[in-house]
Amino acid sequence: MTNQHPILEVKDVSKAYFEEGKAFQVLERVRFDVKDRDFVCLVGPSGCGKSTLLRIIVGLDKPTEGEVSFEGKPVSAANPKVAMVFQSFALFPWLTVQQNAELGMEAHRVPPDARWQTAKKYIDAVGLSGFENAFPRELSGGMRQRVGLARALCMEPVLLCMDEPFSSLDALTAQNLRDEILQLWSNPALPPRAVLMVTHGIEEAVYLADRVFVISARPGRVVANVEIDLPRPRNRKEPEFYGWVDEIYSMIV
Amino acid sequence: MAFARRNLRTLALLLVAGATAFALLDPASAAKVVEVTVLGVYSTARMFAAYLLALLFSVAYGAAAASNKRAGAILLPVLDVLQSVPILGFFPAALLFFVNSFPRNPIGLEIAIVFLIFTSMAWNMAFGVYEALSTMPQDLEDASKVFGVRDWLRFRRLMFPAMVPKLVYNSMLSWTVGWFYLVASEAIQAGTELGTMTTLVRPGLGSWIFSAGARGDGAAIAIGIGVLGAVVLALDTFVWRPLSVWSERFRLDVTAGGEVPRVPGPYERLRWLPRFPRMRRTLRVWIAPVARRWERVVAPLDRYYTAHPHVVRNVRRIDLAMFLVIFVIVIGAGLLGIASMFTRPLPTGVSAIPNAILHSLARLALAYALCAAWTIPVAAWIVRSPRASRYATPALEVVASIPATALFPAIIAFSVLAVSAWSLQAELAALLIALFAMQWYLLFNLIAGMRNLPADLDEAARAFGLRGWTYWKRVLLPAVVPSLLTGSITAWGAGWNALIVAEYISYGGTTYEVLGIGDLIASATYSASPQPELLYLSILALILVVLAMNKLLWRPLIRRASKRFRYELV
Repeated sequence: MTNQHPILEVKDVSKAYFEEGKAFQVLERVRFDVKDRDFVCLVGPSGCGKSTLLRIIVGLDKPTEGEVSFEGKPVSAANPKVAMVFQSFALFPWLTVQQNAELGMEAHRVPPDARWQTAKKYIDAVGLSGFENAFPRELSGGMRQRVGLARALCMEPVLLCMDEPFSSLDALTAQNLRDEILQLWSNPALPPRAVLMVTHGIEEAVYLADRVFVISARPGRVVANVEIDLPRPRNRKEPEFYGWVDEIYSMIV
Repeated sequence: MAFARRNLRTLALLLVAGATAFALLDPASAAKVVEVTVLGVYSTARMFAAYLLALLFSVAYGAAAASNKRAGAILLPVLDVLQSVPILGFFPAALLFFVNSFPRNPIGLEIAIVFLIFTSMAWNMAFGVYEALSTMPQDLEDASKVFGVRDWLRFRRLMFPAMVPKLVYNSMLSWTVGWFYLVASEAIQAGTELGTMTTLVRPGLGSWIFSAGARGDGAAIAIGIGVLGAVVLALDTFVWRPLSVWSERFRLDVTAGGEVPRVPGPYERLRWLPRFPRMRRTLRVWIAPVARRWERVVAPLDRYYTAHPHVVRNVRRIDLAMFLVIFVIVIGAGLLGIASMFTRPLPTGVSAIPNAILHSLARLALAYALCAAWTIPVAAWIVRSPRASRYATPALEVVASIPATALFPAIIAFSVLAVSAWSLQAELAALLIALFAMQWYLLFNLIAGMRNLPADLDEAARAFGLRGWTYWKRVLLPAVVPSLLTGSITAWGAGWNALIVAEYISYGGTTYEVLGIGDLIASATYSASPQPELLYLSILALILVVLAMNKLLWRPLIRRASKRFRYELV
């Protein structure tokens, strides 16, 4: 099935906001797709509508024109096979790490025992074992985002969407988390089957992605599709790495 | 900690010993204390019934106003009006309505009392719920949607926890206000000239204090106030403090990081209280099958809703439409009633209304000035001295926990002692009652406002050597302006209410009366020939004045203050 359809297809999506009778075009005819085992980054300057695009893809927002389809079916509402990691973590401060991780499964009526086991598995996978009963406010920023990641992975999603997941973290923590995400990604037995990440950090995109879609400033349009064929683990000091970074940088400016 | 525990044990021992000695030395009074404690149970039950109603109402109303913009556009202004209405002004009308609905049955009076307390508790709680839900961070809403959290689970996991802090805070406020009205409503019939009313007194702390006052029985008054204070403090210690500690967990500012602010309190000293683990387990075993059955019933319904989202939308629309219809009927009936009043010739006393309102306004302004004069320096002293903070705050809380209405007899006795002229006695009593009703709102808001002064601002001021009057002018006073204004709105609201009972007092066979709108309302209700039309017109005029003050004075001031005196520079 997935051989016929890419996991995600974004077909000529436009989005306009209306404010006091004036229309603000945020996205204009955005078109791309995400295939199986694809790590895709959307890169663009701030305010180019990339977060709006991600919200449309996960079903939180509707496009003014065009369509998003997931596994061949049009996206209309949130889908359990698509999980999301938020820039601000979006953890429920009154729930423990375990309860936060179980939230999506609870909503989809997974029985408590199965819920507990799955949550345990992914809490371990993101390196938080021992913190199951901690509350988010007792954790550091990096650990909070690990909870966000565990919560998303617990859905065993086909597509994992991440909205600037490292922007609220300090540089060192962010780099550690990036490496761990690549570590998890290198194991094909673990979900997800594809990752779609939004970022404004070009270096970060080149470090992580198989493909980078460059989005222009408002209105947002896909201006380039860059395939990064560097082998992993990638070395930021190599001239080839910097070649990619410079190339994408020149496209944005 | 150990020291505190030993202290507590000594204190408990002393209390028990004191109580025993008291019972042995003065068995009559001891019996009275027991009797009054039973009355306290009645009063608390009334408060609890009203609170449950207020809780249900506020969650439903606040959630409706927050989750639907169009509903909110109607619900919020209505709530705003209801909140500014002087509740006691309505009470005589409500009392007549409920008592006449159940002739020869005390249930009518009970319902009237619970209704009055409900109206004093509900509005601020509903606003709290609305505020909490309308300031919900977008990312949590998004996360709930992405992970499919809907309906009941959404309420349990997202909406209810988000409203807990505001709900607990406003509940505490509501209970404080509620005691004031409980005492006023249980006591309102004592000393009235409405012959049939006096037979309908309901047993409770308020009626005890008032009838003791009418007899001039000082000991009985003291016992009544003492038991009332003890009940209020016990509830505060065993219910509200633990709840407010618990509610800290639901604060939303996760990103601010750091420790959960800890409120050290009696709660921590009560670890030894049994928690009944076995009872809890049995209860869980009991509830589990019920819950499972419920889920089995709900699951297909849930699936159906997911498959047909328009059904849910339609149900919601019908729900809203029904609410609107009822709402329009109620408002329409009210407007018709008012309109019909104007078609008839105006009652004779109407020309007295403007003059009465001016007198009441002057009285409140004087009381407010006195409040501000003592609360601002005291608040500054309490906040700036750790020792004062430790000892004065609990002491003030104890004093403030006694509702102003319960202090009537004491205040009147004081006024009679202080001045000899009858008209001045009444004037002083009215002023003092208003003062007692207003001052705590001002004081506690000021304390909270000064505590919130950012430490770095304070340190910067000290580092630059600001002291004395310059410090007050440049740091402390500007910093408290917003909380002073918030406190002022509430204080004035309480003041208007207090005037309704303060300007016309029947006590110990004498009627103390001063010219004012409260006097007009009370005498229109309780005089030998009641004048309902004058009563309604007076209430209407009072509501208009309160609303006008809120809209034209306080709200604009608050808006300006929140622009000018906010700490955040961004």
